[in-house]
Amino acid sequence: MKNIIRFAFTLSILTVGFTSCTKVINLDLNSANPNIVVDAEVTDQPGPYTVNLTKTVNFSDNNVFPPIYGASVIISDNVGNSETLVETSAGFYTTSHLQGVVGRTYNISITNEGKNYTAISTMPAGVSIDSVIADTSANQGGGFGGGGRSGPPSVSIKAIFTDPSGIANYYRLIEYTNRVPNYKNISVISDNLQDGSVITANVTRRDTTIHHGDSVTVILESIDANVYEYFRTLRQITRPQTGFQASVPGNPTTNLSNNALGFFSAQAVRQKTIVVP
Amino acid sequence: MKKLISVLLALAITINLVAQTNKFTISGYVKDAKTGEELIGATVIIKEIPATGINTNAYGYYSITIPEGTYTVVAQYIGYELKTDTIVLKQNVKRDFVLSEKVNQLNEIVVTDEKKDENITNTQMGVQKLDVQQIKAIPVFMGEQDILKTLQLLPGVKSVGDGSSGIYVRGGTASQNLVLLDEATVYNASHLLGFFSVFNSDAIKDVTLYKGTQPAEFGGRLTSVLDIKMRDGNDQKYSVSGGIGLIASRLNFEGPIKKGKGSFLVSARRTYADFLLKTFDKTFKGSSLYFYDLNLKANYKLNDKNRIYVSGYFGKDVLGFGGFGLNYGNATGTVRLNHLFTEKLFSNTSLIFTNYDYKVTTSFGANNLDIVSRIQDYAFKEDFQYFLNSKNKIKFGLNSTFHRIIPGVITSSTNSPISKQHLNNKYALENALYVSHEVKPTTKFSFEYGLRLTSFSLFGPGTFYTYDANDNITDSANYSKSQIVKTYINLQPRAAANYVLNSKSSFKANYSRNVQYLHLLSNSTSGNPTDLWVPSSNNIKPEIADEFSLGYFRNFLNNMLETSVEAYYSNFQNQIDYINGAQLNLNANVESQLLYGRGRAYGLEFFLKKKYGRFNGWIGYTLARSERLINGINSNNWYPATQDITHDISVVGIFEISKKWTASAAFVYYTGNAVTFPSGKYQVNGQVVFYYTERNGYRMPPYNRLDIGFTYQAKKTAKFESSWNFSCYNAYGHENPYSITFQQDPNNPEQTQAVMTYLFRWVPSITYNFKF
Repeated sequence: MKNIIRFAFTLSILTVGFTSCTKVINLDLNSANPNIVVDAEVTDQPGPYTVNLTKTVNFSDNNVFPPIYGASVIISDNVGNSETLVETSAGFYTTSHLQGVVGRTYNISITNEGKNYTAISTMPAGVSIDSVIADTSANQGGGFGGGGRSGPPSVSIKAIFTDPSGIANYYRLIEYTNRVPNYKNISVISDNLQDGSVITANVTRRDTTIHHGDSVTVILESIDANVYEYFRTLRQITRPQTGFQASVPGNPTTNLSNNALGFFSAQAVRQKTIVVP
Repeated sequence: MKKLISVLLALAITINLVAQTNKFTISGYVKDAKTGEELIGATVIIKEIPATGINTNAYGYYSITIPEGTYTVVAQYIGYELKTDTIVLKQNVKRDFVLSEKVNQLNEIVVTDEKKDENITNTQMGVQKLDVQQIKAIPVFMGEQDILKTLQLLPGVKSVGDGSSGIYVRGGTASQNLVLLDEATVYNASHLLGFFSVFNSDAIKDVTLYKGTQPAEFGGRLTSVLDIKMRDGNDQKYSVSGGIGLIASRLNFEGPIKKGKGSFLVSARRTYADFLLKTFDKTFKGSSLYFYDLNLKANYKLNDKNRIYVSGYFGKDVLGFGGFGLNYGNATGTVRLNHLFTEKLFSNTSLIFTNYDYKVTTSFGANNLDIVSRIQDYAFKEDFQYFLNSKNKIKFGLNSTFHRIIPGVITSSTNSPISKQHLNNKYALENALYVSHEVKPTTKFSFEYGLRLTSFSLFGPGTFYTYDANDNITDSANYSKSQIVKTYINLQPRAAANYVLNSKSSFKANYSRNVQYLHLLSNSTSGNPTDLWVPSSNNIKPEIADEFSLGYFRNFLNNMLETSVEAYYSNFQNQIDYINGAQLNLNANVESQLLYGRGRAYGLEFFLKKKYGRFNGWIGYTLARSERLINGINSNNWYPATQDITHDISVVGIFEISKKWTASAAFVYYTGNAVTFPSGKYQVNGQVVFYYTERNGYRMPPYNRLDIGFTYQAKKTAKFESSWNFSCYNAYGHENPYSITFQQDPNNPEQTQAVMTYLFRWVPSITYNFKF
């Protein structure tokens, strides 16, 4: 829907006979009090699992995000297991014996500088990838925002999997090219409109460049509804926006308490690797 | 209904009996000599009795009841020669006035008739009437005259963005304006995603914007009513007019059905930029992008007492490229019957239909996906105007509207994995009863008060949910067809008073309460054709606004200069905002995405207008504030609304250089909108994300622009007229930001940057207009 609006906007501007111009400007933005950022996952695969804690910086600062030292991080589940994580490097806290199990509800509790932050997440059952396809015929240029001009030809990667029917499923897909994750493309899917169907998910974007001979891995995470909501809203605010269709920006909807940023996800993970022919 | 009429008539007769002298009624229509069109808001006065002035109503009808005697009756209208008639009043008299347009405006010396001070004597304030002739002299954008863009040049009215035809009125949102075309609600008044309005000025006769207290016959929106009336068509002779512009052309054909009895009008407009684009740029082959408008109207005078009008509007935007398409448009239809019960009691009965829909089509490979959404109104309206005597006028009536909202239907080709979905249709009935009384007890003082009683009921069938503060469903109930889910009833009083200090100045005060039962959900910064209308429900309460305003009006130089200062304060209840990342389209639980709160708007509007002479124009300045307090936003503190504009200045000048050439200029300056910018950033999952600490905590840079235009009257004879218009929008090429976005610096991965997008600089246009 958003894409369609953006495309319509581009067309309208062209109709009016003028393409829009852009320019980098200096804005005097306020400084923000540093806030905690949590990046935490538990999976159904063997551990250890790592929690990364960092702080926000001001907009004008360099992209260097200070780690949070000396916090207390505890992950527990609903059957009585609990583990206090150990800080193994600056800002990284690691488990040693906790094992994620499908169907269990996990709780994270972080205490830092006298404030406590918590979140819960329930691990859904894993869904396997049926196949991964490298579509070399696709020309992903053109289309939205590009003013209708064609981009360079590229390979587009599609993952095909079968949605279990009768229950609400949420997925997040991550594509790795030669073991390098492409986090910029946030791909989350809800089976809301396609329960029980065979889903074909496009996991590459226009600006992803994949070549013949590359090794491509697609990871399919089965996530809970709150984590889906986090990534859906994160995608909404991080994708490039043209002025017209821009929704009012805000922080993504997190499952963490006390205004913390980031997310905590208990997820089942499946993957498949192919070599691009 | 019949009971109500008889009660009111009895009341009126009682008042009548109190006045003992023999009284008679002068009534009739005021018309244009050339086209036979009735003139709306023309003034009819009795010279011998001061303060008897009356304006013709929306159908050009007037009625004055005064004691027996001999009177000089004057009828006048802006831009027309006035007409005087002597009437010996011994019985009821029917008298139509036929006024001729002033031929030569250039050598006109200030007319010395005393009745050009309507702004002083009228009780209404916050009312802006646009003279369609005057619009034609103002510089245009892309060669298209646009009434909504002209309204943006008036105090208290602001554009929603550069080049946009959308308006904010007195701190309200764009969807808090009621836009009526021949009484039918127009749900989306813009083309090409906002750059043009749907109103083709060839077909428009009268434009009135009520930005303060709305007369009791209007209702349904909080901040303003934009009442637009289509022309009736020339009932004297066949006439063709049109215009050829850079992106669009217009053609208008009108004429008598039977001379002096009835007329018709057909007016069409279409853009053709898509043809040009396809010719110059091969990538646009197979794409489509255009809009069109079609206005149709016919009227016929059945006899002296009855006249019937039929009018329709059809407009559509068609945008398509590759596998994607977006079509949207309005259709409205109105059938009206004017009936004169007596010379004093005028009535109008209307049947109204309106439809707004959009359709999004997507095709990928062999699969198609269509999304359709629609809102429809079926309305009945009955209005009475009772011209009791020269001091009293009573209006009353009722209307009833059935709303049918189809929020979204998804259909797809059979082999598509995406299943069909049909969000529950919404059905609602909105009713109103109103009465208002205008009284002039003395020549100094006049008063108008009214009451509007409204009800709104939401009907089944369907499942209706209740949500808690965390947007979780707490309860659900199934309703069968026609079962009432929720009913709201509201009493909406309004009052307006005018005290004339002397012949040059007056003081006015207004109060009104308005209620809005339909809400537009839009969390984009400037509105989309796919924004969703939702009815009030068990979760969404009706929006309520109370507005107080005060005004001082003063004319100088024999009414050549009009000045006014108006102050207003509005209190809004049950305002709607959205949670972060709200999902509004195709969401069955859309009501879980909403937040509710209060609003307040206040301001001062200064206006100086030179009405006549070779040089005319106006200066408007508004100092205002519009704020919101929404539960769940900015820690429940007051914050500026998007439409909060502190300063807004517009200057418009029109100068007749010679008989052939007219020059015009318009300058606009306003404070940037309140916007949300990030204050910080952080990294999560390997990606830099911006950190927002406050909703609407920042401002866009100030906006300013100068437009200039020249009109050359190439030919003007009785048989043929033609003119050229040359305009330049944003003549000094100021880079007005359309949006500001934030991104990674492409040259330095360690840094982030702000990028401004701007659209229109030095936009020239040329239009050729003709009429024969």
